[in-house]
Amino acid sequence: MVDALLSAPSDRPFVTAWIDEDEQETATFGEFRRMAQTQALLLKDNGVSVGDRVVLIMPQGIPLMATFVGAMLLGAVPAILAYPNFKVEPSKYRFGLAGVTANLHARVVVIDNEFPDDLLGHVSLGDARLLRAAEAGVSGGEVDLPDPGNGPDSLAFIQHSAGTTGLQKGVALTHAAVLRHLEHLSAVLSIDERDIVYSWLPLYHDMGLIACFILPMVCHLHVVMQSPLDWVMHPDTMLQIFTDYKCSLAWLPNFTFQFVPRRTPKERWSNFDMSSARALINCSEPVRASSMNEFCSAFAPCGLKQSALQSSYAMAENVFAVTQSGIHGKAGPEVIWADGQRFRAEHFIAQVPEGSPGAIAFTSSGELLPNNRMQIVSDSGEVLSGGYVGEIAIQSDSLFEGYYNRPDLTERAIRDGWYYTGDLGFYLDDELYVVGRKKDLLIIGGENIYPQDIEEIVCSHAAIHDGRAIALGVFNPDLGTEDIVVVAEVEKDELLRQADEIEREIRSSVVANMGVAVRTIFLKPPKWIVKSTAGKAARSTTREKLLKEHPELAGES
Amino acid sequence: MTPEAQQMIDQVAKLIRKPNLQIDENTPLVSSGLIDSMALVDLLIKLEDITHLRIPAGKVQPKDMNTVALMFATAQRVGKPRK
Repeated sequence: MVDALLSAPSDRPFVTAWIDEDEQETATFGEFRRMAQTQALLLKDNGVSVGDRVVLIMPQGIPLMATFVGAMLLGAVPAILAYPNFKVEPSKYRFGLAGVTANLHARVVVIDNEFPDDLLGHVSLGDARLLRAAEAGVSGGEVDLPDPGNGPDSLAFIQHSAGTTGLQKGVALTHAAVLRHLEHLSAVLSIDERDIVYSWLPLYHDMGLIACFILPMVCHLHVVMQSPLDWVMHPDTMLQIFTDYKCSLAWLPNFTFQFVPRRTPKERWSNFDMSSARALINCSEPVRASSMNEFCSAFAPCGLKQSALQSSYAMAENVFAVTQSGIHGKAGPEVIWADGQRFRAEHFIAQVPEGSPGAIAFTSSGELLPNNRMQIVSDSGEVLSGGYVGEIAIQSDSLFEGYYNRPDLTERAIRDGWYYTGDLGFYLDDELYVVGRKKDLLIIGGENIYPQDIEEIVCSHAAIHDGRAIALGVFNPDLGTEDIVVVAEVEKDELLRQADEIEREIRSSVVANMGVAVRTIFLKPPKWIVKSTAGKAARSTTREKLLKEHPELAGES
Repeated sequence: MTPEAQQMIDQVAKLIRKPNLQIDENTPLVSSGLIDSMALVDLLIKLEDITHLRIPAGKVQPKDMNTVALMFATAQRVGKPRK
């Protein structure tokens, strides 16, 4: 990886940090190398050497990236942790920070000058030295650092798996695994050096780190990035950056495809030019065709090609992508329709014509990358044939070595050489369809109910704020099975006066579409549902909040 | 109190939905649990509107938004004039 950076043409732009319309900072590959070398020397002066963990807690930007690579230049193992911000609950952040830093046993923890003092006590230093990030100078020539002598099987870095609850797990990756992965990924995406990547993704997640930093570094691409917070406040800036920089690639979680058109005033849509987009890859949440269609119809008049809408299934444990939709296709990822009743009762996909009564649409996440294999496994451990829904297990030549310092978690996740992802899906005609998380699945009277399907029906009611409904299973001891409970936000407080009528309508449309009844519907005022990063409804936290407010539900579980 | 501060207080009152609660410029909002972190995004957008400043969200911590007075001080400290 380091060799790839060293061989990049000095004057080619590498990273543009986009702050706002008036402020952007670009580092060429040559400038970036000098910054990384400066950081490497600083880390070396602070005792960092081959194999040492270096923890980075800095805001999104070029200095963070340069320090990350600086550590790699020494053969050390960097790990980026989330930087505190006003959107993260302070208590949750402190808990995560203490646990994750304790597990890494770092030699050095680098924080920036504005890191809040009240959080410092929660960084578990152990024997580590705390270092305030220094300006990464670009003056002077390039420095020759001695080759740390790392082999392909030594650790390159640790990336943390995306988790909304509990401690994030450190995924340890070797140089060889990362490079093999990038070779597969760049081949299926037909990456060439004219590609320009757009990103608002945080660098402490695989999608931001691998697709939008390491891939561009190794393939010598230009990446234009902004901070996730700046994007959330002004989602239309994404369109502006595509227009100004003629970006061709981006990886985006599903909600982005709805969030951007809904938060951008219609009268401004025609100001943007999306014709340069070659692939906008829907990744990291179950892919919904309806969200992608919404984005596509909003921005087709701005030159957006339908073929640019793509999908992928990815996870930190496999470096990044497991599947990718065919980017040379004309119409984006495959969409199929299946009999809803058989899907729930038999866990089986029986294809039916589009729009048949009770049918459910599934959007493909694409085909396997080279040297990736997949099994769909039932609860009893039996390997299922095509069309049956079960847990997705994968094998590949870029799979992680294990969770850092956590043999217990590693043993649970990797069994007989297969990594059990905890995601449910099915494999049909060489395409993977992801249907949800295993732990979210509701089992109602022997039927498998995916909360996302109920939520989509609830949100289609005009009085409910789109994306702000959560379906939960609550155990009913009288019946010995789970009951469905729905909590949903109305668009305006005034609508709560018509709660009875709205509830009745939602109940009947859930029964009509899914054949199951909802026990209780809680209609809540706007902003009641707990959101995770950038606006997704957070299932587990919302569940806790609901049980706290309605202890009668908890009493029955 | 400035009309801007009053506008901000009205916005906060809307977000917390407790019609009888009196809020002034110095009522603690975050540390008291009256508003949650997600509501802060909306408040920050409102603050940009009222002050006509661009506020780099990355430079704002929860404590900077604890009271309406602090919000305006934060806007002055980190905000940039908009075109």
